[in-house]
Amino acid sequence: MRTASLVVLVAILLPLGLGQFWAYQLGVYALYATAAVGLGLCWGQGGFLPLGQALFFGLAAYLSGLAFIALRGVPAIAMVVMPFIAIVSGVLAYAIGFVVFRRPGESGAYFSMITLALSLLAFQIATSWNSVTGGFNGLKGIPGLPGLDDISDVYYVSVAALLAVLALAGWLFNAPIGVLWRALAQNERRLQLFGYDTNQLKSVAFGVSGLMAGIGGVIYAPQQAIVTPQVVGFGLSADLVIWVAVGGRRSLLGPVVGTLLVGSLTSQLRDSLPFWEVLMAVFFIAIVLAFPQGVAGLAEPLARLLRGQRVRPPILAAKNPTDKPPTRLTLDGVGVRIGEVTILDRLSLDFDQAGIFCVIGPNGAGKTSMFNVVSGELATASGRIGLGETCVNGLAPHRVTRLGVGRKLQIPSVFPGLTIADNLAIALWSGRAARLQLLDPRLRRWTSPVLEELKGRYSFLVSDARKAAELSHGEQQILELAMALLTEPRILLLDEPCAGLSPDETSAVIDLIRWAARRLGGATIVIEHDMSLVKELAELVYVLHNGTLLAKGSVAAVQADPAVRAVYVGGEK
Amino acid sequence: MDPLIVTQAINVLYAVSTLAVLALGLAVIFGLLGVLNIAHGEFVMIGAYCAYLIQSWEWPYLVALPLALAICGVIGWAVEWIMIRPLYRRPFDTLVATWGLSLLLRKIAEGIFGLGFRSVAIPLPGTVDFLGTEYPIYRLVLIAISLALVAGLVIWYGSSRTGSRIRAMVSNPELAQAQGISVRQLAAGTFVAGTCLAGLGGVMIAPLAPVQPFMGLDYVLRAFFVLIVGGLGSVLGLFSGAAVIGGFDSVISAATTTTDGYFAVLVLAILFLWLRPRGIIAHS
Amino acid sequence: MSACLAFENLTGGYGSTTIVRDLSGAAATGEVLCVLGRNGVGKSTLLKLLFGYLPCRAGRVLLHGKPVDGLDPAARRRLGMTFCPQERPVFDDLSVRDNLTLMRINRHLSPFRSYFARFPILERRLTQQAGTLSGGEKKILSFVRGLAEDQPVVLLDEPSEGVQWENILHMDACIAAKKAAGAAFIVVEQNLAFAERIADRYLVVDQGRAILEGTRSTIDRERVLAYMHV
Repeated sequence: MRTASLVVLVAILLPLGLGQFWAYQLGVYALYATAAVGLGLCWGQGGFLPLGQALFFGLAAYLSGLAFIALRGVPAIAMVVMPFIAIVSGVLAYAIGFVVFRRPGESGAYFSMITLALSLLAFQIATSWNSVTGGFNGLKGIPGLPGLDDISDVYYVSVAALLAVLALAGWLFNAPIGVLWRALAQNERRLQLFGYDTNQLKSVAFGVSGLMAGIGGVIYAPQQAIVTPQVVGFGLSADLVIWVAVGGRRSLLGPVVGTLLVGSLTSQLRDSLPFWEVLMAVFFIAIVLAFPQGVAGLAEPLARLLRGQRVRPPILAAKNPTDKPPTRLTLDGVGVRIGEVTILDRLSLDFDQAGIFCVIGPNGAGKTSMFNVVSGELATASGRIGLGETCVNGLAPHRVTRLGVGRKLQIPSVFPGLTIADNLAIALWSGRAARLQLLDPRLRRWTSPVLEELKGRYSFLVSDARKAAELSHGEQQILELAMALLTEPRILLLDEPCAGLSPDETSAVIDLIRWAARRLGGATIVIEHDMSLVKELAELVYVLHNGTLLAKGSVAAVQADPAVRAVYVGGEK
Repeated sequence: MDPLIVTQAINVLYAVSTLAVLALGLAVIFGLLGVLNIAHGEFVMIGAYCAYLIQSWEWPYLVALPLALAICGVIGWAVEWIMIRPLYRRPFDTLVATWGLSLLLRKIAEGIFGLGFRSVAIPLPGTVDFLGTEYPIYRLVLIAISLALVAGLVIWYGSSRTGSRIRAMVSNPELAQAQGISVRQLAAGTFVAGTCLAGLGGVMIAPLAPVQPFMGLDYVLRAFFVLIVGGLGSVLGLFSGAAVIGGFDSVISAATTTTDGYFAVLVLAILFLWLRPRGIIAHS
Repeated sequence: MSACLAFENLTGGYGSTTIVRDLSGAAATGEVLCVLGRNGVGKSTLLKLLFGYLPCRAGRVLLHGKPVDGLDPAARRRLGMTFCPQERPVFDDLSVRDNLTLMRINRHLSPFRSYFARFPILERRLTQQAGTLSGGEKKILSFVRGLAEDQPVVLLDEPSEGVQWENILHMDACIAAKKAAGAAFIVVEQNLAFAERIADRYLVVDQGRAILEGTRSTIDRERVLAYMHV
C-alpha cells in the first residue's frame, strides 16, 4: 500500500514540476505504458514474449476512433462503448493465445513469430483499407473526450488509465494466478503435472495483456484526434519490447519506467544523437543477456523497504474435490513406441489394493516411461490404461492429475524462483481451488492437515521467505515429495524418492512414505534401484525388463526367480 | 500452351525456388541447431545492401557475393561466439537474443543508408523467349541458380564427410564428442553457414526487391512459415513448405492483392500450427 | 607395470546429486579392469567422469601418469582414450560404413578385415542405416568402431548387452588380442560370465562406493554375485 500511495502522489504532482510540454508527452507515453504493462505481464511473469503487442493497442484505437466519429453528436455513448472495445482487444488476444499455445511441445518461439506476423498484417490492412481506416494517412478528425480541453487533462486521463491498469496488474501479480504464471515460466511441465492447464493460463495472461493495451488504445484515439497505421504496426511493437526490457520486465513498475523514460527520451534525442538508437539496441542486447532486472532492478532495495512485512493468519483450505475413495490403476497390454524403438511392450500391471509397491529393473526397462505413460506424457500405441472405470489413454497430463494421480519426478523438480511457501501453495490449490478463486489473494494463506503434519516433520518447510533454489539437493527432494503428498492423490507415483539423500534423510523419507501411504489409503508405487530400501518398503515387487513385466512377487520370491537373476547377472546361452 | 498460363507457372516456380533459397539459411540453423535466428532477415538485408554498394561503386555485380559472404560470415561468427553458444536447442531464448541483434543491424543500416528505399539495377536486364512467352532473363537465371544451389547442398550434405559429421552431431552429440568431433566448432561453422546463405539470398534478390532497413522482417517470417508448413529437419520438408507457401502467395497475390496473399499465408501457417504442428514432412 | 589410466578418490555426479563417492582404481598396459554392480550404483557415471563428460568434484584422473582434469571428451580422445557408451551407442541416421569410418582418414575398410571375419553381420549390412540394426548388432558395431581406433586406453560401457553368446566369445578374443598388444581396458559389465573371461582386476561398486576389489585370483565370486543380484 505504501508503494501505491507514493506512486499516485508522484503521478499527481508530476505535471506541476515538469510543465505543460512534458506533461503532454508523458500523457501520451502513459497510454503506451498500459500496453507495456501487459507485455511485462506476459514476458516477465508468464515467460513468453509477444512481438506484436501494438496490434491490440492500435486495434482498440481504430475502433474507438471509428466509434467517436460515428457517434459524433453523442460522445457520452461513445464513452460507454470504450470499455467494450478494450474487452474486444482482450478477447482477440485470448483467442490467438488459445490457438497458438495448443501446439504440443515448446510453443514460445512460434507464439512470438505469429504475433509478429499479425502485427505486420494489421499494418498492411490499416494502410490499404482506405475506406475504413483512412489508409496510410490515418483516421482523422476524431472528436475529443467531452469536457476535456486543457492539455493537462490529457495527462490526467492517461495517468488515470495507467493507474487502473497498474492496479489490475498488481492485484493479479499477488493473486494465486500470478504465482502460477511465474511457476509456469520456471517449470511448465511440473505445473501441468500438478493439474493446471498451462495453455489456458498462458492464454489468460495474453488476454489480460490485450485488455490492458486496449484500455490505452481506446483513450488514445479521442485524445490524439488521429490514428495512423504506425500505432498498430511493427515500430511500436518493437519499441514496447525495448522499453519493457530496459525498464525491467519482472517488476510491476519496470515497464512504466522503461516507457516513460526511454520512450520520451528517444523521441527527444533521436534527431540530435544520430546513433542513439544503435546505442539503445546494444543496451537491449546487454540487458537481455546479462541484466534481466533492467532499470527497475536498481530500485529493488528501495522497493523492499517500502513493501514491509505483515504476517497474516493461515486459512484452512477447501476440501479436495477428488476426495473420492482410492482407486485402482491398471495397465492392460500397453505398448509405447518412439520412432523405431519400442519403449513399452504389452505391459500389463494391476494395482488393485492399498499399499506400497516397488518397481525395479535394469536401465532402459521402461520404469520411468511407465510413469510417463500413466501421467499422459507419452502416447500409447496400443493397450489401455485405467483409473478405476475411467480410461485415461490420451488424456492431457493436467487432466490425469486431476483424476487423482500424484507424481514425484526422478530429478527433483520444484519451482526454483518461487518461495517454499508458494511452492507448497501451488500443490495445495491443485484440485481444490475453483478457477475464479485463483484471483483471490487470500488463497496464498491456505493450509491443510497434511501440510501441518509435513511442517511438523520438516522444519525447513515452515520458513516462508526462502526461495526453493536455495535449498540443498536433499531438501528439494523432500519439498517435491511434500508437494506431491499435498495434492492428496489417490495413486502416488514416486520416482527414486531417496536418490542423493543422506542416510538420515533417507530413513526420514521412508517414514514419511509409510505415513503417507496409510493416510492416503491408495496405492503408492515407488521406482527404486536401492535394494535395501526396496526390502524396507515393498509389500510387492514388480520387475520390468525390455518394457514388459518380467516377474512379480514378494522380495524373497523375486530374488529367487532365475529369470530375474539372468537379467541382473547375465549368463551363457 | 496459353502464354498467360506459362507465365503464371514460371512465376510460381520463381516464387517457390527463391523462397527455398531464402529459407535455407534459417532451415539450417533452426532445423539442425535448434536456434531461432530472428535476425535471419537482417542477414538477407546485408546481402542486398552489399549488392547496392558494389553497384554504386560500379564494380561487376558478382563481386557483391564475396563481400556479402565475408560480412555475414564475420558477424555470424561473432554472434555465435557471444550469444548463441550457451543456447543451442533453445529456440525461445535464441529468439530473444537475436531479436536484439536484428534491432542492432537494422539501426546500423538505417544510420548508414537512411530509411529510404534503394534500388539495385538488374544485372541481366531484358527478356527472352521461353516456352512461348517473354520472360525476364534474370528471373530465369535465379530459378536455375536456386535449384542448383539447393540440390547441390542436399547432395553434399548427404554424401560428404562434413555432412555426415554434422548429421552425427545433430542426432547424437555425446557420441559425436566421444569420437572426437569438436561439436563446438562444427556447430559454430554450421551457424555461420546459415548466416552466409542468408546473405547470398540477399545478393540474389536485391535487384527485384526494394532495399531498405526493414526488408528483412518479411523474409524471416516467410522462411519461418515455410518451416512450419514443411516441417523441420528434411529437405523434402523445405521444398514442400516453399511450394505450399510460395505457391499460395503467388496465386492469391496474382488474383487479388499482396495483402490478401500475405493474409492467406498467415492463416495457412496458423492452421498448420494448430492441426499439424510437425509440418507436412514430420521428422522423427 | 605402469598404469595407463588411473583414478584416485573420484567423486562426482549430475547437477547437485553426488553419485560416485571416493572411487579409486587403475588399468595397466595389457590389463582389463572390470567394474561390476547393479543398476544405478554409478558405473556409467564413473566412465563419464573418466572420459570428461562430467566434472569431478574431488579426486583425479591420470592418463599415463598425467592429470587430465578439465579436458573435454574430444581432447581426451586425442590423448589416447576411446569410449563406447552404453546408451545410444551408434549414429542411427548414418550407415554402418559411415559409423565405422566417420573419423578415420579415409573410408577404406581394410583396417576392419579381421573384425569382419569375426562379425560377418557388419559386412553384410554396410550400407544399411545403423538405426535399423538390432540392439545387440548396434553394440557390436560400437565395439568394433572403438577397438579399431587402436588407442592405448579403451572404456567400454556394457559392451555385451543384447549380444548373443557366440559373439560375446568373439569380443573376448578381440579384447585378448588388444591386451597382448598393450592396450588397457576399463569395462563396465553386468554379465558376470563375460566379466570372468576378460577381467584381470575387479572393482565392485554399490551406492557409488567401492565395496569389493581384487584380482581374478583373489576375488570372492560368491560375494560378487551377492552385490550384482537384487
